[in-house]
Amino acid sequence: MVEILIMLELLAPHLPLLDLICIGTGYALSQAIVFRAGTFSVATSGFAALGAYCAAILVVKQGFHPALAVAMGTLLGLLAGLLLAAPLARLRGVYQAIASLAFVEILVAFILYFEHLTGGPLGFHGIPRLVKPWMLVVIMLLTMGMLYVLGQGAIGRAFEAMRQDPPVAASLGVNPTKYHVISFALSGAIAGLFGGLDALRNFSLTAEQFGFSILIATLSAVVLGGRRTVVGPLVGVTILVLLPEIFRPLAHYRQAVYGLLLVVVMAFLPFGVYDTLRLRMRDRRLAREAAAQGGARP
Amino acid sequence: MTVLKLQGVGKRFGGLQAVAPFDMSIEPGRITGLIGPNGAGKTTVVNLITGVYKLSHGRVLFGEQDLTEAPRHVVARAGLARTYQTIRLLPDATVVENVIIGMYRHQNTSLLAEMFGLPSARAQTQRFRADAQALLERFGMTRYANYPAGALSYGDQRRVEMMRALALKPKVLLLDEPVAGINDVEAARLGEIFRGLADEGMAVLLIEHNMRFVTKLCDYVYVLDGGELIAQGTAAEVVSNPIVIEAYLGEAVDA
Amino acid sequence: MIAQQVLNGLVLGGVYALFALGFTLIFGIHRIMNMAHGAVFMAGAFIGLFTVRAGLPIWAALPVAMIGAGLVSILIEVVAFKPLRKLALADAELASIISSIGAGLIVLSLGQYVSKTETLRFPFGTVSAEAIQLLGLRVTMLQLLMLGVALLLVVGLAFYLYRTPQGRQVRAVAGNYRTAQLLGVNPNAIFYQTFFVSGAMAGAAGVMVGLAFNAVQFLMGEPFLLKAFVAIILGGMGSIPGALVGAMVLGLFQTLSAAYLPALLVDAMIFLLLFIILMVRPDGLFVQAVTESPTKRV
Repeated sequence: MVEILIMLELLAPHLPLLDLICIGTGYALSQAIVFRAGTFSVATSGFAALGAYCAAILVVKQGFHPALAVAMGTLLGLLAGLLLAAPLARLRGVYQAIASLAFVEILVAFILYFEHLTGGPLGFHGIPRLVKPWMLVVIMLLTMGMLYVLGQGAIGRAFEAMRQDPPVAASLGVNPTKYHVISFALSGAIAGLFGGLDALRNFSLTAEQFGFSILIATLSAVVLGGRRTVVGPLVGVTILVLLPEIFRPLAHYRQAVYGLLLVVVMAFLPFGVYDTLRLRMRDRRLAREAAAQGGARP
Repeated sequence: MTVLKLQGVGKRFGGLQAVAPFDMSIEPGRITGLIGPNGAGKTTVVNLITGVYKLSHGRVLFGEQDLTEAPRHVVARAGLARTYQTIRLLPDATVVENVIIGMYRHQNTSLLAEMFGLPSARAQTQRFRADAQALLERFGMTRYANYPAGALSYGDQRRVEMMRALALKPKVLLLDEPVAGINDVEAARLGEIFRGLADEGMAVLLIEHNMRFVTKLCDYVYVLDGGELIAQGTAAEVVSNPIVIEAYLGEAVDA
Repeated sequence: MIAQQVLNGLVLGGVYALFALGFTLIFGIHRIMNMAHGAVFMAGAFIGLFTVRAGLPIWAALPVAMIGAGLVSILIEVVAFKPLRKLALADAELASIISSIGAGLIVLSLGQYVSKTETLRFPFGTVSAEAIQLLGLRVTMLQLLMLGVALLLVVGLAFYLYRTPQGRQVRAVAGNYRTAQLLGVNPNAIFYQTFFVSGAMAGAAGVMVGLAFNAVQFLMGEPFLLKAFVAIILGGMGSIPGALVGAMVLGLFQTLSAAYLPALLVDAMIFLLLFIILMVRPDGLFVQAVTESPTKRV
């Protein structure tokens, strides 16, 4: 956590916040999709690392065109998702989370170890800045759009059923393994995509930036903003990115403010800021409709 | 004529023989009853049919298909729908959404179409919505369409569960104590719906306690006690069977 | 030589044990993952340090640190977990994890403030630098202290849980809040007790680690939390004896790996071990893992 805040502090004068919001939202969407399917995995930052290093290495060492490099990163993320889905499917709840956490830590450790490929602890430097903010915004919006459409259709329905009541979902014909794999593949692909984009706007990469801290930050963003909608993650990331800016005068207490925010939001808006408000509005609308029909409550 | 046949089906949990091997046939156009006192093994049988439990003995055959080893979702796709003793709706979803998810097995769009919202996928979602609305009208629940399912009364939730089961367009409908905790008027209404479904050709398996309900509705009845099949026959035969009466210990007249 | 490494491994294992036992106590009884456990650990180290600086000898400072950490733990319970108890389980799990992360951050920032982000050290001579020869091995006073404290506290915990009426109540409650109420047990009392005990053990571990590395800094808890997961999974989540054995195995594994493998790979090895355990025996090495349920199909 601290590393991410320190990173924000160092980068703030150099990069517009928009970049951070777009990339962060991408990661948050990748995280949210596995939650929507009822899986408790936190492997997103690992998929992102794969996408990022893949894209960076391809551009810098192999001279690939950036778009192709990012596409390869996305593909790598997708494959990693597919591979991870099977072992994680056999675990339940908390164990899935820990296994995915182990996956991320193993990956980070390997990235640090294979210095000749990744630059190791010193990092991977000299990445050309080929990604512009407008590209990030467009890609983020397209991703949100795709996930929205997906949510409205059969896949979204299957995910909802799996999340809320897996045995009932199965008894309605939903193949749990199939959708589990789909959710991981999507999560991997999206994280790989945004990881690749992240690499190409940053000049350099370090393994730590995909470790425990970003994992927690992404998780917080999703839980903070809302994990059942497409807008929720965006709201969560925006809050977390803008927070240090808004509280500049309280810079020393940044961490405490961040912590306090998490505690308070969880206590009062447990489904996340956006999702909880949306639910409340819907309940109010239904109550008004019922009253208008002069009806008794069901 | 697809018949659901249980051949020598039984279940043991370690040393306990929960259900001793027995045969049962659930035929289309009939309401078949499975009754017995508490703990007789009725829900175990349902779980054996629907793919929740592994069979210790026997086979489950659905027409030509052998469902003995089939996991839940395969059983469902074959055309078996079930309702639960305790209502299991998706609490966060609306009534309409709960019904639509029941139509899942009729989905025939490709994964890619669903992922990108291609016209074929959207058209199908529209059709499902329309079918769901039709079901809601049939059950008189249209105004609750967008309510979260968890907010409805018990009786209404039972009806949503019924709609969801019907949305599957099942060939076999397994009803696990569908009128538990419901007043006689509502129960009678539901009974009429079951009768109508059977008349349309569905095979209905009714698991119940309520003898009056069973005798009124069922064409054929199987009686379990302590995991064993102790009697079978028409409702009239079974009700007057001394073995059955003894099993219920005087509860035969009224439940 | 290897015997010396084994000794080091056991000492490390002892400390991991204190940390892991506290964590698994909460998880085993309440099914909650207390992500603020690392912060409590740190708080114990700080309290111990300041108590020693105030003039008390280490054997008096240790209980003070334990009590202090226990109180911090209770505070975290009240702030982060209590408000969320009224939610349905699936949502509450994730929300409590985030909430506890937030609470942990607040405690961390307090530590950062108090230490002015510097690494603090115990006064020279807090623990005698003598060493004795035992069975051909060189054992320092500190190592004896660490082993002794670990042993004492583990035995104490076992006594508390298995021999006292309070402990029996705690075990009876394990996860079933409502049944406990029906049985006349005050669930709040159970929460306070378990969090206090958990915190006290973490606090003791904090002081030990602070002494061992002669470094007390506000981020000291984070790596421990991750490693604690390994110990707990190894022994079986929620199992007290399991956590103890898991911690010992982890301590040995880590020390021996560090002695024979390149430093950068040690972490990878540890998390690889975790991942493999989860694949093969998710319920831990000591719990009879029912991987293929005789009742469920597929």
